[in-house]
Amino acid sequence: MSVNLKKWVPATVATLVVAAAAIAVPISANAAVSLPSKTPAQVLAMVGQTKITAFSGTVKQTSALGLPQLPGGSASSFSGGSASGAGSSSASVASVLSALAGSSTARVYVDGATNQRIQIMDSLAERDAIHHGSDVWLYDSKANTVQHSVLPAKTEKTPLRTTTMTPAQVADTLISKLDPTTKATVGTNLRVAGRTAYELVLTPKASDTLIGSVSIAVDSATGFPLSVEATARGQKTPAFQVAFSDVTFAKPSASTFAFVSPKNAKVTEKAVPTHTAHATAPGSEAKTQPKPTVVGTGWDTVVESPASANAQVVKLLANKQFTELTTAVTGGRVFHTSLLNVLITNDGRVVAGSVSTERLQAVATAP
Amino acid sequence: MFRRRRTLAMLGAVALIPILIAIAVRVSSSRATGRGPAFLDQISQNGLFVSFVAMVVAIPLFLPLTVGVVAGDTIAGEAGGGTLRYLLVAPAGRVRLLVVKYLGSAVFCVAASLTVIVFGTLIGVILFPTGPVTLLSGDTVSVGESLLRSLLVASYVTISLLGLSMIGLFISTLTDVPVGSMAATVVMAVASQVLDQLPQLDWLHPFLFSHYWLSFADLLRQPISWDSYGSNAILQGAYMVIFGALAYGRFSAKDILS
Repeated sequence: MSVNLKKWVPATVATLVVAAAAIAVPISANAAVSLPSKTPAQVLAMVGQTKITAFSGTVKQTSALGLPQLPGGSASSFSGGSASGAGSSSASVASVLSALAGSSTARVYVDGATNQRIQIMDSLAERDAIHHGSDVWLYDSKANTVQHSVLPAKTEKTPLRTTTMTPAQVADTLISKLDPTTKATVGTNLRVAGRTAYELVLTPKASDTLIGSVSIAVDSATGFPLSVEATARGQKTPAFQVAFSDVTFAKPSASTFAFVSPKNAKVTEKAVPTHTAHATAPGSEAKTQPKPTVVGTGWDTVVESPASANAQVVKLLANKQFTELTTAVTGGRVFHTSLLNVLITNDGRVVAGSVSTERLQAVATAP
Repeated sequence: MFRRRRTLAMLGAVALIPILIAIAVRVSSSRATGRGPAFLDQISQNGLFVSFVAMVVAIPLFLPLTVGVVAGDTIAGEAGGGTLRYLLVAPAGRVRLLVVKYLGSAVFCVAASLTVIVFGTLIGVILFPTGPVTLLSGDTVSVGESLLRSLLVASYVTISLLGLSMIGLFISTLTDVPVGSMAATVVMAVASQVLDQLPQLDWLHPFLFSHYWLSFADLLRQPISWDSYGSNAILQGAYMVIFGALAYGRFSAKDILS
């Protein structure tokens, strides 16, 4: 019998080795990183002075916003038909939900302000956004459609707007909002995408916001933001995370940005409103798009948009899938996530902010 | 193994998948509907897509089924047929028998995935126009490169099936009834895919041997995303190590009675 027991030794050892490797590899990736210590202001300055204009890498975005999860959302190889059959409004609710609730992986290629490409990698499909010079292409491999727009000559803003943002963009937005309402500290050094990084932790001083802290990993060599995490108040794991899983600071090859719409794809041209149109009719513009009002500053800002701007939202209220997602409160319905609350009042106004439902109700009922 | 009529029949069934898909698309109206498995709409414009559609269809069930039959039969089939003890009478040793048997099922994995790709490409070329292939990223590559990528897909799928083959070999050492181990292996493949669909178990997903099966599509992006190729190879390697050692433990300690 002892001979027979010995025969099982390799099986035991092999299992233990594989299990140890599975545990040890993530731990060694998080091994302590020693870097010269810096003050929060110095780290912030590093971000501001980063000279990186060309990079490429893989970005992973994960969200745990406390929304219901849709089974098979990431592996829906056969679900192409259900979306078209189930009615467009519920399909759009589902796609917005999966964008908010799930995780996504995208490859990002950037070379300066005029060459950008984002590839959102779905299972057996891909959505691409390419900005090359004055051309912007949006390609959807599942629908095999291309949307092409030509930008007006002088546009400085990057036109790519997708659900996945690079950590650099998110960090810039956050740091631009830094003000006396925030406490900035330097946390423990990290390793992100194989690079050593400082952790900049931003904690709101306001006590009535849902956001507990925001942590930004700043590359120690270049000052390039490598990841951003937002944690809800009172929670340990981040509710929203966008991070590079690998990154290189080399210029992507020019062919990456040279997009030719594929044969057989359905191409639609979409005009971009030009600046001259804005200039000639500023009054009419203001009339058709009523401006939202902003209450408060800093982390507990509440934005209220008047009913006349929300015709789409009011339609959504009749959608059963949407009403199931929201909870009824006095004065309207609340769409609750761990980082953001949105109150849709019965008269069609939308009040949103990273604050409690009570605060939203107070703003909504205030004259 | 390839002289057995059953092996050839299974490869024939696998080859039928692309052929049936191609004929179905050919005889029906070639209007893009946006429904059905991925890439289906592209077939009528470019026959080279037949092999990719066939792979998407074959991976979840047909390929694991045939691999399960071959791998589940390895040891249990000999035991059931009463030939195992004669094989072991020769001074070849049990380890060597296991290795040879596993290599046999690995060769079948290669043959099965190549069958899908080769027959898919052939029937596509015969029935449909061919030309430069549009990748998932919207970039277009030449026919030659797309054939190269088809072969890469075949190698990816082969690697994907190696872990399951080793599981089948281990289960095969547990029993003398070949049908039982075949069924158990196929059940493992299905169970793994079911678990992979449950969002509540997402911490478990990266450890399931079927997790990267459909990620062969990463080879159809521009530039190729090698991440899943590497992760898949490591994962399958881990399954091969664990279940190979388990199979050794069981088989070398087993009393051979038949």
